Amino acid sequence: MKQVALHADNGNGDRRISARIPFLLQCVIVLAAFANTAAYATGTHHKINPRTGIETWQARGHGVFLSLTQMAPDQAEAFFLARGFDRKSAEKYAAACVFGTIFRNESVPSPVSCNLADWRIVTPQGERKLKLKEDWERQWKARGVSESARIAFRWSQFPTKQRFALGDWNQGMTTYALPRGGRFNLKFKWTVKGVTHEGVLSGVRCAANNGSR
Amino acid sequence: MKACFPASDAPLTTVLARLLLACLIAFTLLANGAAASPPQTLTRVAGMPLAKDFSLKNMDGKSYRLSDFRGKIVLVNFWATWCPPCREELPSLERLWQSLNHKQFAILAINLGQGPNAIFEFTGTLNPAPTFPVLLDRNSAVFKSWSGIAIPTTFVVNQEGRIVYRAVGGRRFDDPRLIRQIKALVKVGR
Repeated sequence: MKQVALHADNGNGDRRISARIPFLLQCVIVLAAFANTAAYATGTHHKINPRTGIETWQARGHGVFLSLTQMAPDQAEAFFLARGFDRKSAEKYAAACVFGTIFRNESVPSPVSCNLADWRIVTPQGERKLKLKEDWERQWKARGVSESARIAFRWSQFPTKQRFALGDWNQGMTTYALPRGGRFNLKFKWTVKGVTHEGVLSGVRCAANNGSR
Repeated sequence: MKACFPASDAPLTTVLARLLLACLIAFTLLANGAAASPPQTLTRVAGMPLAKDFSLKNMDGKSYRLSDFRGKIVLVNFWATWCPPCREELPSLERLWQSLNHKQFAILAINLGQGPNAIFEFTGTLNPAPTFPVLLDRNSAVFKSWSGIAIPTTFVVNQEGRIVYRAVGGRRFDDPRLIRQIKALVKVGR
């Protein structure tokens, strides 16, 4: 596409033809070319909080942004104990490889739809689905977790299905059911106007206790 | 149109220099775009549905009914003290509140699932602390009836009690663009 645009008028092979393209148009063409490249190369950006050792993985492309930040097991456990969970239930959740997750529609004019049921955890053992908020909620009800604790749980989790208008975003917890320090890639999907896009967060690692250090 | 085009006999080095400059400009634009802060937006709600009425108590036990605010623009914000973006945006809601005419505008911040003590302890740490009503939706029934699925979510209800805007996720409510958008709504209702 980029080549077609640059050489559209190049009927006689004259290399001076490029000079006929207005400078502004040249900027637009180059910008469009790089924008396309960026869109398909949703590389993973990894950073470590120097104070806590907590690690974050981020990807940006196609106008959306995804970020996964480790939540240490003791941190997750303390959060739910403070919300009224019994210790066994809080421990169970905290041991499930929890991440603080942010998804944002940064610049897509149309609504962006996400369904976590379509996302996949990729490990050397293969691909599998995430354990979703609804799966947990069924367990909490069966275990007799109090209603007020379940309300806090509900709103603290990343919703399974959500639509993001331009500028909308959400921050919530997601779980990956891997042991402490376990590594995985996350294949994430989102849909705009019926077209599904896919990105990968690579080399994500579950927190160890008290941060990953 | 012809005048817009550069000289057709430019040497190759000039063309390459121009392309290089175009690349630099493009990279600069892309880099700025990636680093830019997210857009501060309120999304227009299709069909402007009637907001479901509710009656909720504040931390002192005083009841507030949404329909009592008819004739005003009402910004309804759902939040919790443990939600980081909620915590972050609350001071900007207060700054918005202080910048608007209270005869035309109201803010109701509805906490999900928490008790007065936890809320009071938290709001006391804010600067500025909220002076608008903070209401308690203890079982989150109101939020569910408004089809909320994530917090913070903010709705803007017009003078007729219809939901005109929604914002999912934290915002800087003192952003001039948001203030303009909300003030424009006050003018429409006159």
